[in-house]
This record gives sequence, structure tokens and C-alpha cells, in this order.
Amino acid sequence: MADVSRFEALVLPHLDAAYNLARWLARDPHDAEDVVQDACVRALRYVGSLHGANPRAWFLAIVRNAFYDWLGRNRPAEIVDAYEDTIEAAADQAVVDPQQSAIRSAELRTLSDAMAALPLQFREVLVLRELEDLSYKEIARVADIPVGTVMSRLARARSLLRRSPTLQAIGGRFAGSGR
Amino acid sequence: MNCAEATALLSAHADGETGGLRGYSIRRHLRACRACASRHEELLAQRAQIRAEVQRHSAPPELRARVLATIDAVRASAASGTPARHTNDRWRWLSGGAMAGCAATVLAWVVGTAVLDWRAGEDLALQAVTSHVRATVGDQLIQVASSDQHTVKPWLSARLDYSPPVRDLANEGYTLIGARLDALEQRPVATLVYRYRKHTIDVFVRPEPTLSPSSPPRAVRGFNVAHATGSGMDWLAVSDVEPGILSEFVLRLARPDASP
Repeated sequence: MADVSRFEALVLPHLDAAYNLARWLARDPHDAEDVVQDACVRALRYVGSLHGANPRAWFLAIVRNAFYDWLGRNRPAEIVDAYEDTIEAAADQAVVDPQQSAIRSAELRTLSDAMAALPLQFREVLVLRELEDLSYKEIARVADIPVGTVMSRLARARSLLRRSPTLQAIGGRFAGSGR
Repeated sequence: MNCAEATALLSAHADGETGGLRGYSIRRHLRACRACASRHEELLAQRAQIRAEVQRHSAPPELRARVLATIDAVRASAASGTPARHTNDRWRWLSGGAMAGCAATVLAWVVGTAVLDWRAGEDLALQAVTSHVRATVGDQLIQVASSDQHTVKPWLSARLDYSPPVRDLANEGYTLIGARLDALEQRPVATLVYRYRKHTIDVFVRPEPTLSPSSPPRAVRGFNVAHATGSGMDWLAVSDVEPGILSEFVLRLARPDASP
């Protein structure tokens, strides 16, 4: 009972954040709902152990875990080996492969599309940073990686985004204009 | 600080995450190096553009409603501390006053639900969904965990005045994971728990069918409910799997001899 009240007071206000993260990770509205529903059930169960932490980051960590469990059950092929170099290789291939690039530039017209096309490990840190405004420390906690990795993944995500064919096609608004 | 060192830190610097000596060094480098300064400005522009153009999704109202329904169910079952009185003493160990909570929640939900053509069936479907939600949320999903029908069936028979058929359809993708006791319409009922892909399916099995032989699956509070009769029992399945699959599954349980 007390836990239900705690859930309503601390967790429920962040339902939009939870859905936003799930939606960007799963890239599908219905799958995102399933993930958030599952995350809420888990949050209800564990909200008693939420002390002092930022409730939003706490809830987002649960959403992320629920998403990866969901991914393992439904799209196991999308789980990339967590070793950095594997991820880097996958990212490079996605950007450099000309055929892939051609498909991407035909399909992707907006910055949102370009972000959605980023490999999962880069997409998640970028969404947590730019759309949820979490600090590096909080992102590290949510994504369960060291702060240094948050830093390098974000840098990499931004450089991938900058090199995205989509954005070059729409004029490279932030490519090389510095002064 | 040289360009290679600065490049590694530029993104973090744009995020305001470089402090102390590192922050000082990179600021000094940016004043001296045109290429790095230009890249830094690009990063700031990129951030501004993402914040201006990329949508932050909001939770759809249906999702919110489903979460609230889950909370209601938990609260109702927690609020009623009284054990169920309408059953034998041997039911009292059912924790949390589950049955009384169920009744309260169903009442609340029925008020908010349009009266459908088949009110009795609808009440029953709501009760079944309530039990399903409460069991899922409240760690009461399974009281006897076994994929062996020869373990589950005697466990249920020992606690009920009837003996529900227990079938494992693992070779068709429906894995029996256990069972528990629930209450439907103030009577104890056997609940078989199956796993299908990622989904949990609760199947409530009762003797003496009270509903008409078959009814189409319906959606209740975001869950699907499918019904079948057969083998002298009444079968009610609740899950979030799609209605077609759920109907087929409950029919296979009720009428194992019928050709698929």
C-alpha cells in the first residue's frame, strides 16, 4: 500500500520519460508500451528500495532493463556484443557501406530519422542526454557503463550523426560552418 | 593539450561535463586552435538542432490508463486485509485478502465499463483479468511451479473439489510453468499458468460450464480474454497475446481431440 503511494508520487510522474526512452529504443509504439508496462510492474515491486536516488534515472534504468529483456525475447539478433570494438565496427559499417548509405539517405529525411538509425548503444546515450537531459553520471547509472564510456559513446554518436547521409543531404546545417 | 586530446573531450566539453584542470586546458586549446574551435561550435549547433527538432514522445493515454488500472488492482488487494470468509478454512492461507480485493476492484471497474450485451460474461472476464493482473504484479503468479502435468494436477486436485485436466502443449509453443488457486464468482478455481513466447497466459478452469459454448475473444482493460468449453470444464484464458492465438490455445486445451 505504501509502495503504491510511493510509486504514484515518485515514479508515475516520469511515465512520459519512460515511454520516450522505450519508444526510441524499440522504435515502435506498441512494443514501447509493452516495455513500459513491464517496467511499471517491476518499479511497483522495487519502489520500496528507491532511496535518495533520482527517481527518474532510477525508473529509466528499469525501463532500459525491461527493454533489453524484451529485446532478448523478441529480436535477439539486434543485441550487439557489448564489446566496444564490435560496436564501433558495426557503426562504421553502417555509415560506410555505400549500399546501406544509399538506402538510408532515401528513407531518412529528418534529424529524428537519422537519430533513430543510430546503432542501439549510441542511440540510447544520445536520447538520455539530449531528450532526457541526464548528466553523464546519471547516464552511466542508467546504461550501466562507466562515465568514461558515456563520454566516448556520446562523442561517437554525435560524429556518426554528423556523418549521416541524411543530414548531408539536407545541407549539412552543422557540418563545417564554424567560425 | 594537443588536438588529439582535445578531440576526445570536445563532446563532453559541449555538454558542460569538463571541469577543473581539464576544462581549463581545453578552453585554452580552443582559443589557440581554429579547427578544434570550429568542431566545438558544430557540436553546440548540433545539440541545439536536436533539441529543437527531435520529438520527445509522450505516453499515450491508453498506456497511462493501463498503468493506473494495475495500480488500482494492487491497491485494492493490499487494502483489504481481511481473509476471504466464503471459503473453507484451507483457503485462508491465500495471502493478502486476495478474494475480497478482487471483488472491490471488479466493482470499481464494472462501474466504469459500458454494459455489454452479455453482462454476466463481462463481469466474469473482468474478474479473470483482475486476478491475472494481481497475480502478475503481486508475486503470486505461481503457487506450484512445475512444467510436469503429473505434478500440477495432483496439487490442484488436493485443494479443489474437482480435478481439472492439465495438459502441457510445450511442443506447440505453450509451456506449462505452474498453477495457483484463485477465486472467480466467489468460488475457488484452478488457474493454470502457461508461457507463450514472452507472454504469460492464465487459464481458469472450472467444472459445470456457466457460459454458452463459445464466445469470441474480447479485450478487457488492455488484456485479451478467450473462452471455451470442453472436457466437462469451462475454460477462460487471459493474456496479452493476440486474441486469435489465445482463442486457438484455449480451444486446444478444452478439446484436445479436435483436429487443429
